[in-house]
Amino acid sequence: MSRWIAIVVLCVLAPFALAQDQALSDPAAEARAQAMMRELRCVACENEPISQSSAPIAEDMRRQVRDMVAAGASDAEIRDWFEARYGAFVRFRPKADTPGGWFLWGAPFLILAAGAGFLVLSRRRQPSGQIEPVRPDEP
Amino acid sequence: MIELGHFAACLAFAAALAQSVFGLLGQRAFAARFSVAGFVLMLAAFATLLVAFARSDFSLALAAQNSHTLKPFVYKLAGVWGNHEGSMALWCLVTLGFGAAAAWRMKTGRDIFEARALGVQGLLASGSLAYLLFASSPFLRQTPAPLQGAGLNPLLQDPGLTFHPPMLYLGYVGYSFVFALAAAGLLEGRIDRAWAKEARRWSLAAFIPLTLGIALGAYWAYYELGWGGWWFWDPVENASLMPWLIGAGLLHSVIVTEKRDGFAGWTVLLAVLAFLFSLLGAFLVRSGILTSVHAFAVDPERGLILLGGLLVYGSAALGLYAWRAPSLKAGPAWKLVSREGALAANNLALIAAALTVLLGTLFPLIAEAAGETMSVGEPYFGATFTPILGAVLLLLPAAQAWSWGDANAKTASTKWLIVAGALAGGAVLFGLMLSRVSIGTALAVALALYLIAGAVIELRRRAISVQRLAALPLRVWGMTIAHAGLGLFIFGAAIETSQRYETTLALPAGGSKPVAGWTFTLDKVEALEGPNWYADRAILTATRGGESVQLAPSKRFYPAAQMPTTETAIHKTGTGDLYAALGERREVNGETLYVFRIYFNPWIDLVFGGVALIALGACLAFWPKRKAET
Repeated sequence: MSRWIAIVVLCVLAPFALAQDQALSDPAAEARAQAMMRELRCVACENEPISQSSAPIAEDMRRQVRDMVAAGASDAEIRDWFEARYGAFVRFRPKADTPGGWFLWGAPFLILAAGAGFLVLSRRRQPSGQIEPVRPDEP
Repeated sequence: MIELGHFAACLAFAAALAQSVFGLLGQRAFAARFSVAGFVLMLAAFATLLVAFARSDFSLALAAQNSHTLKPFVYKLAGVWGNHEGSMALWCLVTLGFGAAAAWRMKTGRDIFEARALGVQGLLASGSLAYLLFASSPFLRQTPAPLQGAGLNPLLQDPGLTFHPPMLYLGYVGYSFVFALAAAGLLEGRIDRAWAKEARRWSLAAFIPLTLGIALGAYWAYYELGWGGWWFWDPVENASLMPWLIGAGLLHSVIVTEKRDGFAGWTVLLAVLAFLFSLLGAFLVRSGILTSVHAFAVDPERGLILLGGLLVYGSAALGLYAWRAPSLKAGPAWKLVSREGALAANNLALIAAALTVLLGTLFPLIAEAAGETMSVGEPYFGATFTPILGAVLLLLPAAQAWSWGDANAKTASTKWLIVAGALAGGAVLFGLMLSRVSIGTALAVALALYLIAGAVIELRRRAISVQRLAALPLRVWGMTIAHAGLGLFIFGAAIETSQRYETTLALPAGGSKPVAGWTFTLDKVEALEGPNWYADRAILTATRGGESVQLAPSKRFYPAAQMPTTETAIHKTGTGDLYAALGERREVNGETLYVFRIYFNPWIDLVFGGVALIALGACLAFWPKRKAET
């Protein structure tokens, strides 16, 4: 428990260290930087994007994001840069370039498609004949 | 005192065992008496815990670890369930409570069936009680008793979190009786209209508190954590969302069974799964295998026992299902475009969404076991969960008017789709014209407006004339309000998450700065003292035009726990919340600066209000029929 309290204190409730954050002057670039900060994970905390974290490392990471956005890096380049340094852990948007990644991204839609297929097939097996429509008077 | 409580809990365990034996033997009257007795005994046991916490009796190890003499009275009581052992005691109490309520309120007129349902509920209760008594007893003494307790986690000392866990448990555990009904129905081989009627009522009885519990948790996260957000796709949040999604699917599927004898096998499967997902949530939260800000970090051994229980209940119920389901009678035939078809699509989407949440929550754990670390967060769920549920909602307003069996496409639906298309298209165009919102946000807003309009027009269609609105069944009102609430929620969530404004401010006392059209002035920072905390409170004045608002965010420090908390200040502007949280104090060039985090959260009230309406709609649907309707 104490480890968790320490983490909470460190990352969540401890004083925000955001005073050093200098927003980019171009609002569009700043918006893109903030969107990127919401999908990069703070490496010192539990399950928090760097946009929320007050850990010093998150502050550095935010500055790095802004610098890269200002230098014209694409979203993919920024993600790759962080992944190269901190590992796949840092991405809240997991990559889809491994079999596991394909499965993760594809499975929800596969489940949906399989369910729909099952539904259509199981309805075909119904006894044929006239279907009497019944007006619903209740939900 | 505590020993009496411990003894009462042991007796409750015995009563639950007797309840299962007599229940499964088909003795309704005996099972009913034992379920009431078990509940009363557990209530007494729980009361002794409450008394010990209220009196700060630190010879009770649990109180010593989780209470403090200086804590406000309400939080002393709330401390009982603010920890693993005490919350398990609450879990047992609620399980027995549902058994007792069922013994009293079940009225299918089928004694053997009802007895078996009570019997299965008894099995679930005795399982939880065995876990409580043998693996996580809250009744242990500690000698010598310390003079002072360690205190409750200050984050939990908040009205939102006082009621969040009991609500959530009422929901989770409520599904235990739905599970019991499913098992009893399968044992009997009869899943018919009478079964569905009973199952629907108990599903609603679980769904309402589960919805409120999740909403309370989200609201608490919003105003207490100081992050400005309300949903973080945190594994623990996901653990509560999964049973909610399954439960919502069940509520829709059970209607087909109740009205048409259809989907019997599917409905009963969902009735089983809703509780299994609740148990899975409990396992994930309590086993310590999740990394989450608010997971109970409990030792893995207890987690293994929970996992064992989950596997035993799960395999028993699913085995029973596999054995009996093929013999269940199918309902009348239906076409794809029909009420049944629409509800099947609803279920398909809800279950796919629940499985997506499950996958996204477990995948990092599986990857970790394979030696890789990875994260799954908001971008993943935004690209999978949201479109899956969004797509099926396109069907909702039209499908509400569809007939059972075969919806003549010429009925209300054609008119509907035109209205819908116009609305959606208009909103998307409007949104893109302003060029401040993304396509996703514009689509979500269009969908929300379409759902709200659809709910209102469907209500009007059913009432035929405005004068007859009051005569509509409460169920229809419930449905309308819940669906409109969902629309409001989507509207609020789409606007809030995409248009939220956040920034940080560093101000010296007396200084001021402009933020988002407002000018913030820091009047002063004062020191405050509470019963078990002291705090710095900043007085901020925000002005815009002639309007002037005072915000007083503070930062508390709880010496007992050596832990700070943020107390945010929120001003409702009518279109959103102006939200301020106080951060740290800094010395820059000899000047003292206070750091604030300022948010503007547009339409945030619709997020919580929408969910509250869903719960209200469920309450109306739950309410017994008026005399005239029966």
